[in-house]
Amino acid sequence: MSSSQSREPITIEDGIKLIDAAVTKLTRIIEGKPEPPFLPEEYIGNYTIVYNMCIQKPPHDSSGPLYEKYGAILQAYDKLTILPSIMEKHDEYMLRELSRWWEINKIMVRWLSHFFYYLDRYYIARNGIPSLTVVGMTCFRDHVYEKVHFNVKQVVIALIHKEREGQQIDRALLKNVLDLFVQNGMGNMERYEKDFEDFFLTETNSYYSRKASRWIQEDSCPEYMIKAEESLKKEKERVSHYLHSDTEPKLVANVQTNLLVSVAKQLLEKENSGCSALLRDDKTDDLSRMYRLYHAIPEGLEPVAVAFRLHVTAEGNSLIKQAEDAATSGIVEEQVLVRKIIDLHDKYMAYVTDCFQNHTLFHKSLKEAFEIFCNKKVAGSSSAEMLATFCDNLFKKAANDKSNDDSTIESTIDNVVKLLDYISDKDLFAEFYRKKLARRLLFGKFSDDHERSILTKLKGQFGGQFTSKMEGMVTDMQLGKDQQTGFEEYLKNANTGKPKGIDFTVTVLTTGFWPSYKTSDLNLPLEMVNCIESFKAHYEIKTNHRRLMWIYSLGNCNLTARFDAKPIELIVSTYQAAVLCAFNHTERLTYQELIDQLNLSHEDLVRVLHSLSCAKYKFLKKEPASKTISKTDSFEFNSKFTDKMRRIKVPLPPVDDRKKVVEDVDKDRRYAIDASLVRIMKSRKVLPHQQLVSECVEQLSRMFKPDIKMIKKRIEDLISRDYLERDTENPNTFKYVA
Amino acid sequence: MHKLSRTNRDKLQQFVSITGASEKSALQALKASDWQIEAAFDVFYSQPQPKSNDPYSDMILAEGVSVLCSELQVEPQDIVTLVLSWHMNAATACEFSKEEFCGGLLALGIDSIGKLQEKLSFMRSELKDEQKFYEIYNFAFGWAKEKGQKSLALDTAIGMWQLLFAEREWPLVNHWCDFLQDRHNKAISKDTWAQLLEFARTVNPMLSNYDAEGAWPYLIDEFVEYLYDKSVVEK
Repeated sequence: MSSSQSREPITIEDGIKLIDAAVTKLTRIIEGKPEPPFLPEEYIGNYTIVYNMCIQKPPHDSSGPLYEKYGAILQAYDKLTILPSIMEKHDEYMLRELSRWWEINKIMVRWLSHFFYYLDRYYIARNGIPSLTVVGMTCFRDHVYEKVHFNVKQVVIALIHKEREGQQIDRALLKNVLDLFVQNGMGNMERYEKDFEDFFLTETNSYYSRKASRWIQEDSCPEYMIKAEESLKKEKERVSHYLHSDTEPKLVANVQTNLLVSVAKQLLEKENSGCSALLRDDKTDDLSRMYRLYHAIPEGLEPVAVAFRLHVTAEGNSLIKQAEDAATSGIVEEQVLVRKIIDLHDKYMAYVTDCFQNHTLFHKSLKEAFEIFCNKKVAGSSSAEMLATFCDNLFKKAANDKSNDDSTIESTIDNVVKLLDYISDKDLFAEFYRKKLARRLLFGKFSDDHERSILTKLKGQFGGQFTSKMEGMVTDMQLGKDQQTGFEEYLKNANTGKPKGIDFTVTVLTTGFWPSYKTSDLNLPLEMVNCIESFKAHYEIKTNHRRLMWIYSLGNCNLTARFDAKPIELIVSTYQAAVLCAFNHTERLTYQELIDQLNLSHEDLVRVLHSLSCAKYKFLKKEPASKTISKTDSFEFNSKFTDKMRRIKVPLPPVDDRKKVVEDVDKDRRYAIDASLVRIMKSRKVLPHQQLVSECVEQLSRMFKPDIKMIKKRIEDLISRDYLERDTENPNTFKYVA
Repeated sequence: MHKLSRTNRDKLQQFVSITGASEKSALQALKASDWQIEAAFDVFYSQPQPKSNDPYSDMILAEGVSVLCSELQVEPQDIVTLVLSWHMNAATACEFSKEEFCGGLLALGIDSIGKLQEKLSFMRSELKDEQKFYEIYNFAFGWAKEKGQKSLALDTAIGMWQLLFAEREWPLVNHWCDFLQDRHNKAISKDTWAQLLEFARTVNPMLSNYDAEGAWPYLIDEFVEYLYDKSVVEK
């Protein structure tokens, strides 16, 4: 830099001339015309002109004028060169022209900024005026962009429409053009939005609205959905190719509204191909697509979930009806029905997890559907009872047939627990299950592992209180084994040996856990009495203060019957054994004699005698030989009896205790309701009737669905027992009486 | 023993049966009041009584009540006896203890049979008063039931209802009684008794404002069902 040399100041006119020359050269270069590039000296020289003119002492300090000049250069260029070229062209050519001149302009601005750089450093900063770059951009915007954007937008939208209709277009060009729109916003998206996006969205709206009306008429639901999905995909691609990313959500919403929301009802309810048809025909792919499409729309899934619920309910109801119809011919096929329900559950749960992506709405629909038909009765049997019977059969079979795969049993158990969740009378299930469990345990038909497994799972799902009694029962059996060993030790040691040489096993049950059984004052044969006595002696040594209550109705006995042809081992219940042993001392006994000797109830004796003289195996001869037992009959040991088997099991058919179970459960429910009401009132002190009832229902819903009438009756009972009283001001409200 | 005139002997008997007093004290009291029965009562009751072993000696019992009624010229089943008992806060029907009887008369400002008789029409009118009817109605439950029982026997209850709702018209009273005999056949609890009045007062005979979700006792809900069943009311 020349420093000490005093120079002539450069006048504005001269300076401008020099600058103009430089600009002309620059223009030619950037327009691609043949022109040698700037040499480094020339480049520096241009900068220096400006520099010198700025630092000159007044009146020659030319920062202001230079700034003006800069703006003027660009303005002239825009107006006189750029704009006319663009306006000459149409359609795609116009876009290209615009794009080209936009790039050129950028280069122009950049170069000029370099020349005039010194202004940026001091003049502009000191005066707070727009920078050179900003001036450049503003110039283009005001003199080119503002004039052409409308037409450009028309062309762009037309091209997009072409692409939508399947033709290829120059995406890179569109990207550049739209980029231009964005950049001309100079910091915000307003230009892009107002000059392009708004129009684009309006056009998109009418485009898809037309498509939707046509497709919905012509296409089936799956076909329509495929088209809709395709459209959405294409539009998203469009964004990634040339639209600004801000447009995506608006565009997607637009397309969705037109293709999915406005036609939702028509689409989903299309006969033969809508939601219910797809469910009916197991079209999982189409259902998955439906989920994907409607998932993004607020509340879009609701009608689908409703259709799902209705469909599952209908399927369930038809299973129930099938079972009802089968039952009229006499057979209640619990196994079949429960299995079918389990399969139905698996099938539609798979739908929920796969097609419907585990969405809570569909879980809820499935649950509601199952709750409707799982609580229906079939031929007088409640679902609770059927499920308990199902489990009973399952475990009995599993215990007999060890070849059964454990994992299938386990998965069936899981299914049972799931089904139980849908049944509202869970306490009823527990009671039936307990009764049947007792029989399984006592007659030896059980596998400890399976029994424990289901109890653990039930406990996990429904709480310890639900399973505590049953667990106690299973534990009793375990303890029983140890006890029996202890008893046998005792017999050996006490030198008493086996009483009368009979092998004798006792199972001690804890009263609270097991269902209640009637005791009877059966007069046992002497041999058995000895057994009882020896066990009693042993037990009293082991424990104090415990009373043994003997339940003969549950015992069984292996007898050898010496028939004329050959001896046969009979496996019978204790009652039956007692009756048979009576014939050890006499050939013939009348009904009356048997009653007197054995002290059984008439009901029981009739049942026993029937099983021994009128059923499949006639160990006793009955006189007269009718089909039923009457009090005047007499019986004789049938020594002529024989069979090819060496061991015969004679089952005593169990008494039907369904009514008793229901009664017991009802009674327990009354106590549970009382307890719940008192608990609620104790903590709330004052509560209106409606709320009391609904809180009570809620508290108890884990176990059963209480009958509102029963709750009312219990409330009245509690009033008469002075636990509660009505509020004198408002008889609809109750107060706790401390 | 003086020779008593016929009238005086009657009065003596009357006095004895009403008060349960011994002949001797009865005689004393009557003499002291110059054979005016009403005054004799005053005298009798203001005297300290000799203790007797008979727990009923201080009570007017059924017999006495019927005598009282005939003196007042009313039927024993007349509802006004209920009102009277209410004033006296009597514990049980057809019985008055000394405290109940005297206290009640004092509160009413009555000291003679004549005055009592005059008061009867006033007592009848009290039944027309809403608040008093409410109190009398609720009082009637405790009064009409057997001592030591919690509930009111059905027949007694029906009788009381017929009586009470004759004064205070309730169009459904007959249906209610039919329903009870038809479907219920058990005693009536206190709560049901009390709530029935509420029902009669607030729910119109067409049941248009009956709230099925309300806290009505079970029996009343059943009654409504019965009315629908028998097409007495349209649902």
